[in-house]
Amino acid sequence: MKGYKPTSLLFVFCFLIVMSGCSPYTENNIVEEIAPVIFWSIKNDPNGQLSITTLVPPLIKETKQTFTLKVDLIKQGGKEFNLKYYRELKTGQLRMLFINKELAFKGIRTLINTLFTDPDVSSRLYIVIVDGDFEAYLKNQLSKQPSLDYFLYRMLKHYEKYNQGDMSIVNLHEFMKQLYSPFQDPILPVFKADKNNFTYEGTALFHGDKLKTTINNMDDQIFQLLGNDRYVKLLALPKQKLVLGRVRSKVEFRLDQTTKVLHVTDQINGRLEEYQGNKNLLNQSELSSLNKEVEVYLEHETTELLKNMQKEKVDPLQIGLLTTSPFFERMTSKEWKDQWENIKLDVHFSLKIQPVTTGNKM
Amino acid sequence: MGSLFPKKPRQKSKSEPLSSKIPLTDELLKKSLANMEDLEIIALNTNIGTVFLYYIKTLIDNERLNEVIVEPLNHCSKDQIAKCLMNAKIEKLSNLEEAEKKIVQGSILLYDPTQNHWFATLLETPLSRSIEPPETETVIYGAKDSFVEQIDQNITMIRQRLPVTALKTETFNIGSLSRTKVVMMYIEDITNPEFITIAREKIKAIDFDQFLDSSQVAAFMEDHKNTPFPQFLETERPDACSNSLALGKIVFLVDKTAYGLVGPINFFHLFQSPEDYFLRWIIASFLRCIRFSSFFLALTLVPLYVAITTHNYEILPLQILYVLLETRSKLPFTPFWEATLMLITLEIIKEASLRMPTKSGQILGVIGGIVIGQATVQAGFVSNVFIVLVGISAIASFLVPNYLMTKIITLLQFFLLVLSSLLGIPGIVLGMIIIIAHLVGLTSLKQPYFAPITPLYLKDWNDLFIRGPLTSIKERPSFLSPLQRWRIKKRR
Repeated sequence: MKGYKPTSLLFVFCFLIVMSGCSPYTENNIVEEIAPVIFWSIKNDPNGQLSITTLVPPLIKETKQTFTLKVDLIKQGGKEFNLKYYRELKTGQLRMLFINKELAFKGIRTLINTLFTDPDVSSRLYIVIVDGDFEAYLKNQLSKQPSLDYFLYRMLKHYEKYNQGDMSIVNLHEFMKQLYSPFQDPILPVFKADKNNFTYEGTALFHGDKLKTTINNMDDQIFQLLGNDRYVKLLALPKQKLVLGRVRSKVEFRLDQTTKVLHVTDQINGRLEEYQGNKNLLNQSELSSLNKEVEVYLEHETTELLKNMQKEKVDPLQIGLLTTSPFFERMTSKEWKDQWENIKLDVHFSLKIQPVTTGNKM
Repeated sequence: MGSLFPKKPRQKSKSEPLSSKIPLTDELLKKSLANMEDLEIIALNTNIGTVFLYYIKTLIDNERLNEVIVEPLNHCSKDQIAKCLMNAKIEKLSNLEEAEKKIVQGSILLYDPTQNHWFATLLETPLSRSIEPPETETVIYGAKDSFVEQIDQNITMIRQRLPVTALKTETFNIGSLSRTKVVMMYIEDITNPEFITIAREKIKAIDFDQFLDSSQVAAFMEDHKNTPFPQFLETERPDACSNSLALGKIVFLVDKTAYGLVGPINFFHLFQSPEDYFLRWIIASFLRCIRFSSFFLALTLVPLYVAITTHNYEILPLQILYVLLETRSKLPFTPFWEATLMLITLEIIKEASLRMPTKSGQILGVIGGIVIGQATVQAGFVSNVFIVLVGISAIASFLVPNYLMTKIITLLQFFLLVLSSLLGIPGIVLGMIIIIAHLVGLTSLKQPYFAPITPLYLKDWNDLFIRGPLTSIKERPSFLSPLQRWRIKKRR
C-alpha cells in the first residue's frame, strides 16, 4: 500500500493538468499534409475591405505563387485561403505580419488583438509596417528567390537576436506590451517596398494603435542609441565625415521635480572606424575639437528628435515612467501626454572616441 | 452434455519426494535409483568387511575416488569407515531422502552392512571454467574478474574483497527438481536486519521446480511482478557486489549462475557503473549525467518526432521545419507508422545480431546499417531525419550500463509512441507522468524504488546524478537505513 498514495496523487495532478489545460482533442497536423504559412501581408482596400496576401506553398521547394483575398475579417481570409489550395494552410508557424502603412494610420488594434488571442499564433510573430507595394515585390522576386518568405524571416530574426541597432525589430508580444502600457507608445519597423526592393526605412512611432510618424536615417540611429538597443554597430556621421563603430550609449533621463524640464545625459563610447575629414587626429587638441563637434551635432539631432516626438504626442522612450513612484502615480497617462509636449529639453552628450586611425594630416 | 475433451484424472507424480521418515535400506535405495545407467555400485573388500559404494559416475571425480576412498579403505586397519577416511568429510545418513539428495549432488554413499551404517562424502567433479573478464559490465579501470558458475568460487571472490567475520552467509536450497543452492550474503554490523528478515522470508516462500538462472530467482523474490523494471540488480562483478554489501545491501548468489543479485536497489542504481568509483569525480559525474540524459533522449526522441510531425508542428524552429517538410513531403507512411516500422526493424536487427555468431553479427550490422538504413531512405519509405533520430536513440539506449534497462527503453518507447501519436506532446508528458508514478509506486525488498527522490533523502544526492568526491561520501545511503551510518571510523 506504500506506493499507492504518491501514485494516486500523481494521477490526480496529471488529470488536473489535462482538465485545466488545453483541449484533449488534438488537431491532425501531419506536416506533409499541411502548409504552415509563414507570413500574411495585410492592406486596406478602397472598398473598406481587407486584402490579405500570402505565399504558397511555404517552405517547400515547389513552384510558388501568391494568393490574395479580399475579405471583411482576418480569420475569414485564413479560412478562404484553404479553399484555393490543396493543402490546408495553418497559422501555427505564422512568423511575420506585414501591415500596409495606410492601414497602420487607421489603427491596428483589432487586427493585433485577433492574432494575439489566437492560440495557434505565436507571440514571437514579427510585425512590420510596409510602405509601398509589397505584393508587387513578392511577385517579382518569386522567380529569383524561391524561398523568399523563409529568408525574410531569417533576416528579421537575425537583427532581433543580435541587437546591433540596425533595425527596430518588434514582435507581437512586445507590441502588445507597449500598446497596453500606460507610459509607453509602441514602435514598429518600417520597410519600403517596390517591385525590385524591400529595404529598411526606419522606425514607425505609434500613438496607441495608430501610426503617427516615421523616423529614419539619423533620427532612427539616435533612437537606437536612446531607447531601443542602446548600441549601434556603425554610426555614420556624413557631416563630420566620420563613421563611429561599436557605439555604446549610457542614457539617463531625468525629470526635475516640477516636471518642466527633461534632462537627457548620454555617455557614448565608440571607435573611430573611418574618417575622411581634414583634422589630424594624432593631435590631441584637434581630436578634442572633433569630439566636441560630434557631441554638439548629436545633441542637436537628439533635441530635434525629442521635439518631433513631443509634437506628435508620442512617447516610445517611456519617459512617462519617470513621473511614477513606487507607491503612487503623480499623474495619469493622459495627463502625462498633455504634459509631455510642453516639457523643455536639456540634452547633453559626452563622447569618448577611441581613435584607431592614424589621421590624415602628415 | 459431456465435454468434448474430458479431463483425465490427475495422476500423482512418481517423482514426488518420499517422506524423510523412511529409513535408509539397501533395497529401498536401489529401488529409488533404478533405471539410472550412470549409477555405479561397487563392493569393496576391506579390513572392516565388504563396503558398498554407491555413486553416479557422471557426477563424481573418478580420480579422487581412488585417492580419497578406495586406497584409504584398502589399507585401513581401523574397524570403522569414518576412522579410515580421515581426508574426507564424512556425514552419517539416517533416512532415504537424505541419501537421495546427497547422491544426486555428487556424493558417494558408503554402506557398511556389518554395522548397518550409511555414510556420504562429497566428491563432486569440479566442472568450472576459469575466471574471465566481465562481458556485460566491462570497465577500462577496475577489476577484471567476474563471477563463474561455481557458487563457492563466487563467494571466495567476495570474501577476498571483504575479509571480515561480519560478512555472513546463509544457504538455502530452492527448486524441487533443480535443488539450487542460494547463498544470501550480508554484513551483520551494517545491513538493516529488517531487510534480512524480508529476504529470508522471500527465499523460503519460493516454490518452483527448477531454477536455471539468478533472474528466475529474482522473479520469485520481487515485490512487483507486473512491471518492466527490475527490482534486483543483476551483476557479474564481485567488486560491485562487495561495494553493495559495504553500503548495507544484501547479495544473493545462485549456484550454476554467473550473476549475483543485489537488493534492495533503487531506480538510479541501474545507471551506476562500477567505473564511476574509479574515475575522477568530475569525469564520473559528467558520464553519469550523460547516461541519464541519454536514457531520457532514447525514451523521448522518437515519440517527440512523431508528436511534432503529427500534431505540434508549431513548436519547431522554422529552420528545422524547413528541413523536415522537405524530407517528409513525398513519404507514403504517416509519422506513427514510419516510426513503428523502423523501431520494429531495429529491434529485429538487434535481436538477430545477439543470436548470431560474431562474424555473422558483423555482416548483419552492415546489412542493417547500410542496406536497410540507406535503402529505406532512398526508396522513399522513411525520412532521413528520422533515420538520424533512430540512430541517436539506439546509441543512447546502449549508454545505460544495465542490460535490462536497455530492453525497458524499447518497451517504453513504444508506449510513448502510441501516446504521442494520439495526443502529441501532452501525450508524451502524460506518458512520462504515468512512468514516474509507476516508478514511485515500486519497491525493492519493501524499500522505496524511487528513493532518494521520493521519499526525499537529500544526503544521498551526493551520489545520485553526480558522483561526489569519495572523500565527501562519508555516509551510507539513508534509504538503506544501515546500522552504521558512517563509513569513516572517526564518526562511529
